[in-house]
Amino acid sequence: MKKAAIILLLLFSASVFSAQSDMSKSVVMIQGVRQPFDYTTPWKQTSVAQGIGSGFIIAGNKILTNAHNVSDSKYIIIKKENVAKKYPATVEFIGHDCDLALLKVIDKSFFDDTEPLTLGTLPEIHSKVSTYGFPMGGTHISVTEGIVSRIQTDIYVHSGADGHLVIQTDAAINPGNSGGPVILDGNVVGVAFQGMIQADNIGYMIPTTVINHFLLDVNDGRYDGFGSIGVSLFSGLHNDSYKDYLKLEPNVQGVVVTSVLLNSSAEKVLQRGDCITQIDNYDVDNDGMIMIYGKKYHLSEEVETKQIGQTINLTFWRNGKKQTEQLVVQLNRPVFEPAHLYDNHPPYVCFAGLTFVAASRNFLETWGRDWLDSIPHTLRYLLNDSQQLNKDRDLKEYVVLSEILPDQINQYADEYKNKPLQNINGAAVQSLNDVRKAFENKNCDFYILKFMNTEKPLLLDARQAHKQNDTILKKYNVSSWTFPEEQL
Amino acid sequence: MNRAIISIIFISSFMSSAFAGGSSDMSEKLKDSIVYLQISYYAYEQYQPWRNKELTESSGVGCAVGANKVITTAYNVANAAFINAKKAGRNEYISAKIEIIDYESNLALIELDSNSLGKPLVPLVFSENYKKGAGVNFYWLSAGGQIYNGRGFLDRTSVDVSAISFSRMLTFIAAGTSDSTSFGHLYCLDNKPLGIACWSNENKESGIIPSKVINRFLADVKGGKYKGAGMTGFDASSLLEPATRKYLKMPDNIQNGVYISAVHTIGTGSDVLKVGDVLLAIDGFDIDPYGKFKHPQFDVISFDFLITNKTAGDKITFEIWRGGRAQKIDTLVKHFDVSQMLVPWYDNDRQPEYIIVGGCILQKLTKTYLAARGSDWQGKVEPHIYDYLLNHAFDPTEQRKQIVVLSYVLPANINLGYHNLGQLVVDSINGMKINSIKDVPQALSLNPESKFHVIEFEMEQPAIVLDRKQLDSAGISIAQNYGIDKIYNINLINN
Repeated sequence: MKKAAIILLLLFSASVFSAQSDMSKSVVMIQGVRQPFDYTTPWKQTSVAQGIGSGFIIAGNKILTNAHNVSDSKYIIIKKENVAKKYPATVEFIGHDCDLALLKVIDKSFFDDTEPLTLGTLPEIHSKVSTYGFPMGGTHISVTEGIVSRIQTDIYVHSGADGHLVIQTDAAINPGNSGGPVILDGNVVGVAFQGMIQADNIGYMIPTTVINHFLLDVNDGRYDGFGSIGVSLFSGLHNDSYKDYLKLEPNVQGVVVTSVLLNSSAEKVLQRGDCITQIDNYDVDNDGMIMIYGKKYHLSEEVETKQIGQTINLTFWRNGKKQTEQLVVQLNRPVFEPAHLYDNHPPYVCFAGLTFVAASRNFLETWGRDWLDSIPHTLRYLLNDSQQLNKDRDLKEYVVLSEILPDQINQYADEYKNKPLQNINGAAVQSLNDVRKAFENKNCDFYILKFMNTEKPLLLDARQAHKQNDTILKKYNVSSWTFPEEQL
Repeated sequence: MNRAIISIIFISSFMSSAFAGGSSDMSEKLKDSIVYLQISYYAYEQYQPWRNKELTESSGVGCAVGANKVITTAYNVANAAFINAKKAGRNEYISAKIEIIDYESNLALIELDSNSLGKPLVPLVFSENYKKGAGVNFYWLSAGGQIYNGRGFLDRTSVDVSAISFSRMLTFIAAGTSDSTSFGHLYCLDNKPLGIACWSNENKESGIIPSKVINRFLADVKGGKYKGAGMTGFDASSLLEPATRKYLKMPDNIQNGVYISAVHTIGTGSDVLKVGDVLLAIDGFDIDPYGKFKHPQFDVISFDFLITNKTAGDKITFEIWRGGRAQKIDTLVKHFDVSQMLVPWYDNDRQPEYIIVGGCILQKLTKTYLAARGSDWQGKVEPHIYDYLLNHAFDPTEQRKQIVVLSYVLPANINLGYHNLGQLVVDSINGMKINSIKDVPQALSLNPESKFHVIEFEMEQPAIVLDRKQLDSAGISIAQNYGIDKIYNINLINN
């Protein structure tokens, strides 16, 4: 929850003065209109909101900005400094896990008299950087200055669940220049993107290591995202007894695998109790850190340099023997996706007024600001521990009864609301598609719905339910009983 | 119109005179029947179980039920270290001790020292009367030895849990009370004792433990070995759905019955009921689809009353719908000690059970332990641990009698590397499954030839490996360093 204290929009606001003329040719204002989906009743969309952010031109007539400036977007306009014309734009690629997006401007004349910026490297601590953008308090481009305070791995709050390298600076924070470039010696060293609400002068930018990963990723015309090795690690080798117990030599340093994610690429390579001592050519210390970019960072930083499908070499000890294996970097996500979703029409099944959705963070966030403390226990348990709780290889998602559209057929179903569905007529529900299939089968008297941690099943008279279904859909303006309409 | 006004005036003047007469008479009469209780509390810290909390004090009302015996609420004297009593018009304190405490009935029997008591108390007789809407008076003895009174009216009955226990007991609720009453204040109806107060709220309402509950408690006490009130050993969910009734092949002429949605391993009915049964009646009282029944005196109340109003060992008859037909099942009412629960609901009057192994604090999981996290603890407790309380607390088995958790690690050299581990459920120690806290010493004596103690946790958490050779000396230095006078407290008898 500490991470919730981070806001998304960041500004370096030490002092505002007239920007250098060349920057006004590279930095643009982005006006976006967004309308997210409703994750409880997904045939509806929520209210429309507008926002202003910043972006900048890079080589190839592309505009780089934050994903959160253009997520769930309905309409995007780009404005250049000192030019009245508004240019409509579209999202070409978007990476919600790294909060970056590439925009395409439809009118190519937009790029006349513009200058693309070039990307630099990771800056040194204490180097003086300038941030450009369109923060609140005016309409012209602004520049502020700060220094690089620290570089570390942290959570990107746009997804709420993905951690990458961030650069912290000492500048104050104001909304509006998210997506703007942070410049050192004429090169971009970061994209301003988030800050801390309750702290003075803590702002964050996305470093070029992450930006380059994103740009390389989309080269093949598709964004795949950042991968992982799919294991949980424990830095317990500070204890000599633990080391001895794992049959490691006293001078060995590394971290211990405690669990391997089901269906992950690590399953063939690693197992609980393995001690990882080397990742590619980096030695891993007892804190799980490697010497990379001239400093100690978590070994995940080496994984972050890989694209999905690339391999890393892992050296690890098992039962007193040292071995080296290749591991393919994959997304390796748990069955309950902990990241916030965007640009995604949530699938649903709405039958006899019973609305089923896949359990997601977005659905849980409908409980409000303190959602993590106030969601029902079973959902909190699954979100927190799905990696350990789920032993079903074929489980694609947890399905939850998210809403009941009141009708005589479902007037006793309230007690099942927000509960995960386990099976229908004895057939396991491993995805929303299974729910759809179950209700498509009309050769039964009853639909018996069994929910998790609830012994009493919900019963629907099958004939009645089918009879009422269309009436309910019409009454509540639900255009289709499922989304997607075609079976997957 | 005129007549109506006259009659209202008449009634109200009658009522007030009845109150006035009743209260003055009763105050004098109660002089030898109610006492002032001064209680000192010395409970234990849950997260440093070797330590006591700050000493605190409170007061309450004791109602005489014998020459030197009074009752008060169990809540009043939970974790009491010392109790003093005072009689009306007397200055000296009389030392007192708890004879029996029953957190389910929320009652405690307290014995006053006969030597310092002087004139014996005059026992009260609790009348099992109930008149909805009737005026009631309440009485208490102040610290200064004066009897005070107040009034309200009997608003309703409910069958609900007390402040501490999970057991649903009959409670009367008085509304419009002229004072807040919650510490055992004596309530009277028609000048006869009706019950003792157990809670009050901002809406001037007070809960009253009624005579029925008190008289069962007193009868149980008289029987020698205290057996305890019946406890429900199953959960019920409403059964309103026509589709479910049709599926269960229940004929249309059976409209009563509640669905048995869970059957525990302890408590009344746990031996005979099955999930999916429909509970139609208990002892001839029809149970409605909400799980309520019509009581001749208290109107519609929860079926739990039919169990919790009985004493362990009493006979009880369940009429159920199972496998497409109705049947009657006779069984005995059951009571269990809270320590028999997989996750005890409360842990009062004794030190929490724990053992410190190389700085790792292993502790028996109780609800009291979890609630010590502070307000909104339910949303803060690790969900895997909370799940044991929420979904398995009443389901102990021979293989799993208690849950043992690693509370946290007291940092020391022996446990370097494990300092951040905590709130984990212990699975095994040295290969032995941990069924209860008393297994821990036994498991630590296993594999004496091994260099290590290995503590494994549930949910694929990291193991803790400790050097056996260092353990004793580390234990001493950790105890000294952190000021721990007792490195374990395990109740071998109760386990």
